[in-house]
Amino acid sequence: MPLEDHEKARFLLHRALVEGISLDDRRWLDAHVSECAECARYADLSARAVRALDCFALEFDPSAALRVENMVRSRAQEMRSAESHARSHLVGTGVAIFLTFTGSAVAWRAVAWLASQWNLPSRAWQIAFAAFWLLPSLVLALLPLLRTRLLGEDSHSRGQAI
Amino acid sequence: MHNSSARSRIQGMVALVTAFSRVAEPESQSIARALRRRDSEFIGRIVSQYHYRLLRYLVYFTSRRELAEDLVQETWLRVLERAGQYDPRLRFEPWLFSIARNLAIDHLRKHQAATHRTYREEEAGVDLPAPDFESPFLAAARSEDAKRIGAALGALEPIYREALLLRFQEELSLAEIAQVARAPISTVSSRIHRGLSMLEAALGGGDHAA
Repeated sequence: MPLEDHEKARFLLHRALVEGISLDDRRWLDAHVSECAECARYADLSARAVRALDCFALEFDPSAALRVENMVRSRAQEMRSAESHARSHLVGTGVAIFLTFTGSAVAWRAVAWLASQWNLPSRAWQIAFAAFWLLPSLVLALLPLLRTRLLGEDSHSRGQAI
Repeated sequence: MHNSSARSRIQGMVALVTAFSRVAEPESQSIARALRRRDSEFIGRIVSQYHYRLLRYLVYFTSRRELAEDLVQETWLRVLERAGQYDPRLRFEPWLFSIARNLAIDHLRKHQAATHRTYREEEAGVDLPAPDFESPFLAAARSEDAKRIGAALGALEPIYREALLLRFQEELSLAEIAQVARAPISTVSSRIHRGLSMLEAALGGGDHAA
């Protein structure tokens, strides 16, 4: 039997296990293995190697599995609740922005009408309106910054005292 | 009376169709939906279902049981964080294993940086550890052949062990293994062939010794 036949048989034996072979190749291989004792032994070895891989059973610790399961579940719940909060904040911010714009437009018209009734100079009521409308928002926006700064300085000085 | 019985019949049919659509839905889609919705009950079931297989994969890849157990937990947390990246058209296992693999490589790289150890992973350019002296494979072997194979597996480079496990125990396709290992299909195929040859040599040698 030519040497190439044995090489081909071994190549096909592996290939059959790894990715499969065509029907023609299967027929050729079966015929060859039935005639060649060495390749039959090789085929048996390959099959045993794959079967032996199935004979590995890691020790399974159910308590460890349960611990991981509980930890992942609670993390999923945390993420769900955090995402739900983030969604509510997003909706709240959207509504606030919408109300700010529509409210400003309505208030502007109302103040313009009042100013025309009282014959106020347009520049004066516009500046007053802007101050009334924007100052509280600016103060509210700046407060957290000031607070952080003050608290930061405070904790820094406390740290130094310690 | 007639109306109420017709309504209940329709409700029954709707319930039946809903139940059927749930059963008929591919598992990957159910998993993707549960991960996106952070459905803790379903996620708990997935964790329990895949725990052993994930642990086994990580033991094969790292050859360290304790490290593998730590990485199992980290893998699931990463799965939750990256839930949006899972494509439900693909099977869940390759995605899960690729996350586990990346975490294991990150961990081993950090460990090597700390201990100044250097090992070479063929082709992928990733450093991987030498196997433990106390091989988890020998401990897990349940037959004589498996003990011989266990000794051979312990000496095998992780990329070959990984390829053998994914092909013959997880029964992933070559394309899926390539996805996990981030390597071309031809490379994966040659890793499996080479790994198999090494195992056969271990078994053959044992037969001669016996």
